[in-house]
This record gives sequence, C-alpha cells and structure tokens, in this order.
Amino acid sequence: MLKIRSLEVAYGGLHALNGVSLEVERGEFVAVVGPNGAGKTTLFKTISGIVTPLAGAITYMERDLLAVAPAERAQLGIAHVPEGRQVFASMTVMENLEMGAYTRKGQQRWSETLPMILALFPILAERRAQLAGTLSGGEQQMLAIGRGLASAPELLMLDEPSMGLAPAIVDAIFERIHHIHRNGLTILLVEQRVAEALETCDRGYVLETGRVAMEGTHKTLMADERVRRAYLGM
Amino acid sequence: MDDLYWHLVDFLQAFAAGLLVGGTYGLMCVGLGIIFGVMRVVNFAHGDFMMLGMYAAFYLVTGFGVLAFLGPYAGPIAGAVLAGPIVFAIGWLLHKFLISRVTGARVVAAEAEGHYAQIILTLGIALVLANGGLILFGSTPLSVQTPLSRESWEIGPVFLNQARAVGFIMAVICALGLYLFLTRTNLGKALRAAADNPTAAAYVGIDVDRAHRLAFGLGVGITGVAGGLFAMSQSFQPYIGFDFVIVMYAGVVLGGMGSILGAFWGGLTIGLVQQMSTLILPYQLQNTAIFVVFLVIVFFRPQGMFGRVWERT
Repeated sequence: MLKIRSLEVAYGGLHALNGVSLEVERGEFVAVVGPNGAGKTTLFKTISGIVTPLAGAITYMERDLLAVAPAERAQLGIAHVPEGRQVFASMTVMENLEMGAYTRKGQQRWSETLPMILALFPILAERRAQLAGTLSGGEQQMLAIGRGLASAPELLMLDEPSMGLAPAIVDAIFERIHHIHRNGLTILLVEQRVAEALETCDRGYVLETGRVAMEGTHKTLMADERVRRAYLGM
Repeated sequence: MDDLYWHLVDFLQAFAAGLLVGGTYGLMCVGLGIIFGVMRVVNFAHGDFMMLGMYAAFYLVTGFGVLAFLGPYAGPIAGAVLAGPIVFAIGWLLHKFLISRVTGARVVAAEAEGHYAQIILTLGIALVLANGGLILFGSTPLSVQTPLSRESWEIGPVFLNQARAVGFIMAVICALGLYLFLTRTNLGKALRAAADNPTAAAYVGIDVDRAHRLAFGLGVGITGVAGGLFAMSQSFQPYIGFDFVIVMYAGVVLGGMGSILGAFWGGLTIGLVQQMSTLILPYQLQNTAIFVVFLVIVFFRPQGMFGRVWERT
C-alpha cells in the first residue's frame, strides 16, 4: 500500500533521513521505533508533504505520492495524527472532528464515522461543545485520533500518541489503537516507547540516526538481543 | 437644571455619533483582523484597500453612473456593497502574484526573515496604491453624493445623520454575515482551522495557501465595503488610507489580535472614544484620546478585550 525507497531528507545540510526504505501492506500495523532525533517525525512529515525530500521515492497505492500536492494527500486516504496532538485549540471538539472530515470521503461518510468515533472515545461526546484547547492532554490525543478517523482514511499515521501522557492513559490509548486496527484499518505508528509499540504491531522498523538499523516482525524484533538490551531494558 | 440637561444631550449626541462611526470602523477592523488572524501578516496597505473601496463606490455611483438607475438613496448603498467584490478581486490577485511569495506554509519555517519581507512588501503595496491612486483619480477630495448625508433622524433631542446610520446598519449586517460564514459553513471553519494551526490544517486536507488567499481577499473586500459606506459621509482623497490604518490597528489590537469578533468591538470602541473625546478635549486631540484609552486597556489586558491568553504560543 505504501512503499518508501531510499528516502533522503536534509535540513540545512544536516541529514535527517539517510536512505530510508519502508513498506506497509494493506491491513498491517507497522511500527517505526527509535530514539529521539532518529528521524521518525521527519519521515511522517515527508509522507504528508510538509517536508520535501532530496532523493528517494514514495508510492502510495501505485501512485507517485511526491507528485501529489500536500493538501491533496489527505484526499487519497492518508490521515496524519501529528506529534504533540496539534488540535485546533480555538475550535470546539465537534468543529475539530468536522475539520477532520474535510476530505470528500470524510464528507460522504460523516454519518457513519461520527458515531463510530464517539463510540470509540465517549469522552469526546461529553465534551463536544468545549474548546479543544481546554481539554486535558489525553483527551486532546483522543480528539487528534478522532479527527484523523473522521476523514474515513485508508492509512492512519500516528506520531508519538503517548507523548507527555500518564502511563494509565497511554495504555488506554494503545488499547484503542489496537481496537481500530482489529476493525481493519492500516496503521503506521511512530513511537519512542519501544516496548508498547512493538507489542501491538505486526512488523517494526528500528530507526537510528536517519537509517533503518533493524526491521522484522513483531516476534523477531522482540526476541532480538540488541533490541532487548538497547530499548526494552532486558 | 437646564445646564445639566444640555450636558446630557451633548453626551448622548456624542455617544450616538461614536456608535455610528464606530460600526464602520468595526467593519474595517474585522477585515484587518481576519487577515492578521488567518495569515499572521501585518498588512500596512490595509487603509489603501479601504481607499480603493471608496473610489470603487464613487465610480459605480457617481463617476460612471452605473448604479444611477437605483436612485440617490439605494444607489450609494449598492455601490458600497459592490465595492466589496471589486476590492476582493484586487486583493485575490495581489495575493496570488505577490503576497503569497512571502507568506504561507513555506515561509513559516523562515520565522523572522519572512516577517521582514512581509512588512516591506505591504508597505510597498501601500505606497504604490496611494500614489497610483493619485495618478488615476487625482488629488481633489471627492465624496459619494447622497441626500442621506444631509438628512437626520431625530430620537428625542439626539440627531442621527442618516448616511452614517445607514452605514452603521450595513456594517453590522456585513460583520454578522462574516461571523455566520466563519462559524456555520465548512469553508469558514476551514479558514479558522488554517488560522489556528496551519500544519494540522494541511494534514486534514485544507489547502492553506488557498485559505490565505480567500482570507486576504475577504479581509480587504470587507474593508472596501466599509470604505464605500464611509464615503457617503466623508470626503476622501488617495492618501486617506494612511490616516486610517493606524486607527484600524489600534482597533484590532484592542479587540484582541486574532479574535475576529473582538476586532469589531475594538473598532466600535475606537469610534466611541474618538467622538466622545470631543466633549472634554479639543477636536485636534481626537486621535490622541484614542491612543490614551488604547494604552490604558492594553496595560490592564495585554491580550486585548477578547483575546485569549492560551491561544498564543
């Protein structure tokens, strides 16, 4: 579904991504893990078109994604739930979800997706008229995921959904993400919390200083000696 | 006793005059506020777009007489409203070919450097519009002739100039229309989303550059309407924009930068202060009074009357 080949990205001469290749099949749950500064967020920004790569190719459903304008990429069914949530703080919870459904498909499917999102995160129904900026961190994360789902996407990209949240809330959010995946959505997740991410995914990539250091299925990575020592503290 | 009565009448008269002129200021401030709120661009040329609105209304009504068939009452009002789309189109084109080069998603990363380019560009546009206006329209002060400006409605002892009163009503209708557009329609909400968080807006599929173009066109267009309304009761020449842009900024800051509804109240406050200051101060100190009140309010509420602290990061 998504194929990335030898992607290179640099900010002012500094290489953030150094020939990253990655694949996501339809229905899969793929995790990209690694330490801070490994280039995970840059990878997502490049897929969404906020950052332009120096070299490399991205194909999405047999299309050259780099030839598609950034605002059009959401129309193709890619939903990006950004790092740090980035909800529309001055707008209500409901308006945030409506903006999530800005795409053509989001508009068409609104009557099905809205009840699905509110069932997934009942707190959003309770807070529907509240301004998003006044929500707690966990609620904002749920809203950001809900906004992503509102576009009725084919591929849900989640950037650090655990960021700055209490452990109990992280567990709840990961449980919901798992649930979304079981219902058939393809998920690409970027996480610093390696243990949680590798536990829920089908396949994973370990990104270190802009390169793919390791890749494999959930089982092989969890069993890998280096991963266990460096990231899982075992 | 008689003395007190006449003081009260003076007060009410100044209040009414301030309210009427303030409504038009409010609409101008809303136009400027939407540009700043959505694009984070300080538009120094804003007063000159108001000037274009005044001339657009003048030529529609008086110069070429396109709207003469509507008669002396409806003609000028229709002229002011139609000035909106004309100025909108000018703003749209200017954004497409000039302003978009120094604003928008790509420039956000450049931070301060982007702002320098914006300031120079909008100042340059202001100069070109004002001097271009001088060449095209000449320096003779003009006004849109309407019998309304010579007639008044009387409410008890208070006189309401009809041209200003009609301008006020139209301004309130336009501001309300814009408010409904921004809060009730999908396109309006997308504009607010692009203002709130341009990156997240792009992620949900909003074309941020297009949103900016729409905001710029709407902002100058609405101020063009305000200019057209103002032209019914005020004479103007190509340099009038400069006198107004400072007052408009005061109104926007007063209402709270980025709060579009707040900008209207900010403009209204400016109008009230300007007119009521004449009760106790010489006429020449009107604008001084505006800035004294401005400083006092900003001292106690730096975020403006309607700004929210947490919105700014």
